[in-house]
Amino acid sequence: MPGMNSGLSPSDPTLVAAFRSALLHQGAIVLLVLALLWLLWATARTWRPAAPPAAGRAATAEPRGRWLLRTGFGVLWIFDGILQAQPKMAGGLATQVIEPTAASSPGWVQHLVNWGGTVWSYHPVQAGAASVWIQVGIGAWLIAAARGPWSRLAGAASVAWGLVVWVFGESFGGVFAPGLSWLTGAPGGVLLYVAAGALIALPEDVWCRPRSGRLLLAGLGVFYAGMALLQAWPGRAGILAGMVKEMSATPQPHVLSSLLAGFASFAARYAFAVNLVVVIALAATGAVFLTGRPRLVRYAVWFGIVFCLADWVLVQDFGFLGGLGTDPNSMIPLILLFSAGYLALVPDVTGEMIGAGEAAGEAGTADRAGQAGEAERPGRLRPGVLTKAGNAVASARARSVAAAGALAVIVLGAAPMAQAAANRTADPILALAISGSSSRLDLPAPGFSLTDQDGRTVSLASLRGKAVLMTFLDPVCTTDCPIIAQEFKQAGQMLGAQAGHVELVAVVANPTYRSTAVTRAFDWQEGLATVPNWLYLTGSLSQLAEVWRHYGVTVQNLPAGAMAAHNDLAVIIDPAGRIRQEMDADPGPGTSGTQSSFSVLLSQYARQALRQS
Amino acid sequence: MSRRLTGAAAVLACTGLACAVLASTGLIAGCGSQPAGVTGAGPPPLTAPLSTSLVTTQGTWAVGVMGGADPGNKFWQLFFRPATSGRWSLATPQGVASNGGLVAAGGGAYLVVGFRPSQNLAFSPLATSTDTGRNWTPGLLDAGLADTPGAIAVGPSGRTLALLRDGTIEAAPTAGAGRWAPLTTLKALAASAPGRACGLEGVTAVSFGPDQNPMAAGICARPGAAGVFTDAGGTWRPAGLALPAGSRVRVLGLTAIAGGTMALLAAGTTLFAAWRDGTRWTVSGPVTADGVRALGFGPGGSAWLLPDRGRPETVAGAADRTWRPLPPGPAGTQVLAPGTGGSYDALAVAGSRLTVWRLAGGAWARAQQITVPIQYGSSG
Repeated sequence: MPGMNSGLSPSDPTLVAAFRSALLHQGAIVLLVLALLWLLWATARTWRPAAPPAAGRAATAEPRGRWLLRTGFGVLWIFDGILQAQPKMAGGLATQVIEPTAASSPGWVQHLVNWGGTVWSYHPVQAGAASVWIQVGIGAWLIAAARGPWSRLAGAASVAWGLVVWVFGESFGGVFAPGLSWLTGAPGGVLLYVAAGALIALPEDVWCRPRSGRLLLAGLGVFYAGMALLQAWPGRAGILAGMVKEMSATPQPHVLSSLLAGFASFAARYAFAVNLVVVIALAATGAVFLTGRPRLVRYAVWFGIVFCLADWVLVQDFGFLGGLGTDPNSMIPLILLFSAGYLALVPDVTGEMIGAGEAAGEAGTADRAGQAGEAERPGRLRPGVLTKAGNAVASARARSVAAAGALAVIVLGAAPMAQAAANRTADPILALAISGSSSRLDLPAPGFSLTDQDGRTVSLASLRGKAVLMTFLDPVCTTDCPIIAQEFKQAGQMLGAQAGHVELVAVVANPTYRSTAVTRAFDWQEGLATVPNWLYLTGSLSQLAEVWRHYGVTVQNLPAGAMAAHNDLAVIIDPAGRIRQEMDADPGPGTSGTQSSFSVLLSQYARQALRQS
Repeated sequence: MSRRLTGAAAVLACTGLACAVLASTGLIAGCGSQPAGVTGAGPPPLTAPLSTSLVTTQGTWAVGVMGGADPGNKFWQLFFRPATSGRWSLATPQGVASNGGLVAAGGGAYLVVGFRPSQNLAFSPLATSTDTGRNWTPGLLDAGLADTPGAIAVGPSGRTLALLRDGTIEAAPTAGAGRWAPLTTLKALAASAPGRACGLEGVTAVSFGPDQNPMAAGICARPGAAGVFTDAGGTWRPAGLALPAGSRVRVLGLTAIAGGTMALLAAGTTLFAAWRDGTRWTVSGPVTADGVRALGFGPGGSAWLLPDRGRPETVAGAADRTWRPLPPGPAGTQVLAPGTGGSYDALAVAGSRLTVWRLAGGAWARAQQITVPIQYGSSG
């Protein structure tokens, strides 16, 4: 999975603090937007009272099945959004959730998922925060917009985001990986969100026909039958116990891990019997769903709820524990889906109107209501655009305003994520997390006179008028130095036209291997031989030792086949020859993300140094 | 309404279809796959690891790997035992990580060590000593050394040959200061008349002949043909031999001996030593090994073999061409080092500790122990 791994610990304090800060800032903006919307609405209503609701709408209530799906999945999305705000999520989702999930999938899946994972690992804070707000926004939108096109649009938004999460977050729910099992969440909990969103996006009157419920249950029946067949396939019986045992290792309360460990032992001992029970339960539930007979289905629904809850606790371990759980897995969404199917199948004989109070004049009717308001005030002047808008706002219900607020929250999350996805360089926060905060300085840079890779004498004074990004590299280093050199090279490229005012300078940091032949070999190895502003300086041991001492670099040979040891340091010198910044140049894990991040940071420092001169 | 119901039906039908696809995918994924078939040809010739020893006028040198199991914690070491003493000491040149492996070669007063590339290092730093490893002069090969113990050869004048990873052979007046110039490439050598004759597939060792001409050896496609070549004024001439064995032959090692050349050859899992007195080859009896842990040349045309399993074997020279077993090596034996009068030292490794066992009275006796200051974690 090239690119996906930032190599940083998910609980890295710098990353966690930046993530928390971003959430707090964006949360404040969310509150501000919501307050403004409320203020606008309240003002409009004071200025122009809302029109009375249209009489005919009160007679119809939202179908119960649709209501269950909409509110149920709305709550789930909000819950998932809150889970995304867990501290480890920004730094850990790509490496500890996405990458392992994709690892067992075929190459083309890994390739596709890697793109998303790279975006996340390059911009963990933006991506992490965006996921929070998008999911909270979708959930709030689903709950707030009960009726009309806005409600259906919320369903469509659920489909769109659900597919993004299913593909990039769940690697297609693992359907292309071996070991697929309904018990462990196949075909991915989020795919069920997608299905629910699609059902919510359907015209509302579809839900008024029992045939709809029958079709939904039939679809689920086929699904159950398929999963029963899969579960019955030879070799499946032994898999369950291992998976449960693995889940029991997730950080969680002891009582839960003991419960899981106990069930794992039971499932291991009676593997065949447990699997047989599962196969029969799945097949029987599926068969009953396929019949579409309400009385039978009612029993199957109750059985399904119990069975799913048991699986949710004993096998899926609630799905969201351990600090990196993104959702409660597939069982709760599944319960919502077949329960909605049952409610759609069975006519509402009690006449109870779920949400009847909300039915009148919902969001989608705002314009109509506004127009009706106008119609009731015939003697007035022909209204202008502003008046029409004012009418519309004034006549909107609180739920419509809330839905608009939810939409604003989604945009607030999606915009930075889109910006991050378009940016091919990594967030400098990764470099800051590795190197710690750099020190801003204003000191005269110690002078030197050394020899470059082409044998020319170069002094610091000769570089006056240019910013200098300087570091210390061992030309025969096998680990960090080639990575740091690449970071410098990329930083130079990022500077664009300003690169002409910046020199990228490395000083040899090896007491033994310090000839110009070695620096030239290093340059060829790293593709630096043709970089016009790259200088790799060397000299006699005494010359080098003086430069090392002046810049606080310790260099020494080590015995027994170890590399020469030296500390990694980057110094940013302004065109006037003053040190403006010093940073630890240790490249950390040296992944493509961290390399890019260091390059961004170095180029930013170089620009600052140019401005400060 | 019917259109809308059709839309709903489509969503639901898609759910069912998806399930069917999922089920079939899972079933397919659950099926096992047959391992790829193995061709019917005989076993490929054995290869030579970098662990070895060599004898120069100053004493005996041994190359072995120490440290942990993780590749980043494996450090190759060079040890030296002066000709005048029985004590070994650590002689690994400093300044470069040795995780990729060491190749050592001696000639005249020179001992040249090459560091094989590892991790982010793509070329091979060199180190030359003329004072038994007390001081080293850094050098450089601007490409990676081949992964074979015969990748460097040094002549009495210090002239050095280096075999690169791509099969190119380069030469320099000395390893420390001279500029390297290409001598030939695998492609050119394979296209030469002797290369074509044996079907040369790769170069595995370089050496100098008795007339100080560069020599190269490799692996040939033609069964039984041992590819050895000598450079006569820019033209490569055949200097190989034919083994009675019917399988492909790989030259595992090539070295100069008094008045001639010696080679170690592998045909499948059978090894031979061979001596050339200038014009004619003499071949030893066969010795069989499942795998090679280490092998090397000794003084007077002798050679030794440390197989993966079984007892070490030695051969005394062209005059006594029979491989003879030594007592089973002590645990952890990584390399044998010839001593005086047909005696051998076994260098056994456990982490950072090297134990020297000396063959005396038909049994191995512990002679010395060295704790090597390995810098664990220094190579990432």
